Amino acid sequence: MQSNNTSEPWRVGVLFSRTGFMSVIEETQLRGTLVAIDEINDNGGINGRPIEPIIYDPGSDSRSYGIYAKKLMVEDGVSTIFGCYTSSSRKAVLPVVERLDGLLWYPTLYEGFEFSANVIYTGATPNQNSVQLCRTLMELYGTRFYFVGSDYIYPRESNRIMRELIRNSGGSVVGEKYVALGAQRSAFMPIMQDIRQVRPDVIFSTVVGEATTFLYQAYADIGLDPKVTPIASLTTSEAEIRDMGYDVGEGHLTAAPYFQGVGNDSNASFVGRYQKRYGGDEPTNMCLEASYFQVNVFAKTLEKTNSMESTIMRDSVMGSEFDAPQGGVSINPIWGHADLWTRIGRANRQGQFDIVYESPTSVKADPYLLGYGRCLEYS
Amino acid sequence: MSRIQLKSSPSITGIRWEPADENVTTRCSAMANELNGAGPPAGRSRSRKSPDHGRRHSNLDVAVIADRTDDCERLLRELQRLRCNVRHIWPVPPQLPTQHDLIFCMLTEDLPQRIPWIPGEPKAGLVVIDPGEGELDLKLIHNCAAHGVLHYPVTARSAQACLALAHDHYLYEKRLRGRIDKLDENLRSMRAVERAKALLIRMKDVTEEEAYNYLRRQAMERRVTIGAVANAIIDSHELLS
Repeated sequence: MQSNNTSEPWRVGVLFSRTGFMSVIEETQLRGTLVAIDEINDNGGINGRPIEPIIYDPGSDSRSYGIYAKKLMVEDGVSTIFGCYTSSSRKAVLPVVERLDGLLWYPTLYEGFEFSANVIYTGATPNQNSVQLCRTLMELYGTRFYFVGSDYIYPRESNRIMRELIRNSGGSVVGEKYVALGAQRSAFMPIMQDIRQVRPDVIFSTVVGEATTFLYQAYADIGLDPKVTPIASLTTSEAEIRDMGYDVGEGHLTAAPYFQGVGNDSNASFVGRYQKRYGGDEPTNMCLEASYFQVNVFAKTLEKTNSMESTIMRDSVMGSEFDAPQGGVSINPIWGHADLWTRIGRANRQGQFDIVYESPTSVKADPYLLGYGRCLEYS
Repeated sequence: MSRIQLKSSPSITGIRWEPADENVTTRCSAMANELNGAGPPAGRSRSRKSPDHGRRHSNLDVAVIADRTDDCERLLRELQRLRCNVRHIWPVPPQLPTQHDLIFCMLTEDLPQRIPWIPGEPKAGLVVIDPGEGELDLKLIHNCAAHGVLHYPVTARSAQACLALAHDHYLYEKRLRGRIDKLDENLRSMRAVERAKALLIRMKDVTEEEAYNYLRRQAMERRVTIGAVANAIIDSHELLS
């Protein structure tokens, strides 16, 4: 893997679903990855060598992620993989990269409580989104929460953490419903009817994928008012809002490190370049941004190491900083998770988020919530 | 994984060899005599210093996937002598079997693709067999995520060491994975216990020690984990409030 006197490309693996119920968001993660790779290659590659992505489509099936990860490492001889949205897919790739000593770059928020020497986590952990979201919702809307989630690891774990936050802040959870991953439209009507009866102050959604659209549309169809009882989420980004319709998304809240509307030069230039390639009406989003900046962090690291060997890459990437579209980010050397910005946005009629809260600096990743006491005190 | 067979006599009955071809059976009985009879079998000067340790790997279900050469015969014979339940398979099946404790398999170019499990989650210990010709492909061996390599020509000692080490490594890996799962689970339980304790202290006006004792007593009486009791208390408190 040493690169003296060679123009051989740096081969990397890319695993995002372009088909199946997770394709809406993962397609944007794939684009973020490819935009970054193209920009790097247009600027002459890394130490004179271009990056060559080897891309597979796991089709939204968790098991396929493990199988493709093995294929990438064993047959394609790749050691670095960019990929995964759901926690189930990450957990399928985990044993492969751990045993064969690869490096997975994971650009998605998740429920925390994980650490692997073979993963770099560049999405938000609960202390970087849930804590502030809970606080803001209680201040603006009230203390009675209703949970709706897709039935898999991330929603159940996120709800567990959210519940702790709410309980310890004197709030309550007045309902909790799960729908199958890839649920159909009809699954949401009974839930909306229940919500109308229970009358919570806030609906906290951990529904992911295509079903996100059905949830918000069912909400709109039954005539609930986002000014009174908004849906709050950690996953509903510009991509999902566009899918459900701007009128349907308007007034609902999301906590994320990045929104397209973040006001800085780095982001303006990023959005400009992205839209030049994919079209002026294509929004960016948090997962796309994380996919984009993590490839850049990888490239900066590789430039120094000139080796893709996982141990060397990992040692070198720890503590490194990058001026991402969301602002300055760094890879936290304790956890191998990124220190990111906390923002809360409210969707407007243009399908963009108006930022209602922004952290003064980036927030250190704390995947095991060690800094939040025994019971996530609300202060 | 390994089945423990309690046999009163050290007879051949503890050994099962499922022959893949017919002429194995005859050889098997010849070997039985050798095993039962006095005097050391094939191989030289066997140390009897720690007979217990020598038995650690007996009764293992072992598959040998290799061409029927003299080396292969030597390996089969040695495994028999070590009281393994041996099954010979050839050619390499499209997917390796998963019901054995340990598999010896000829190293082929496409072996990683024939391994049915995801690297890091093996369903059996795996020893790849290097026929001893041509350049050794270390990357290929890495990709098999094997627990050992046996080089031809086979000696009794090398077969024995491979069997023992590979099985040890496989079990050790399994224990480590189990420990990580357990730690993850404990981490969650501890948070639940802390919360349940805080609830009890507040609601029942007891000390921290008393709250913990209460949780422990409940867990013992109901024969469930303390984490389960804690979660039940948290859930019911939420339902009531």
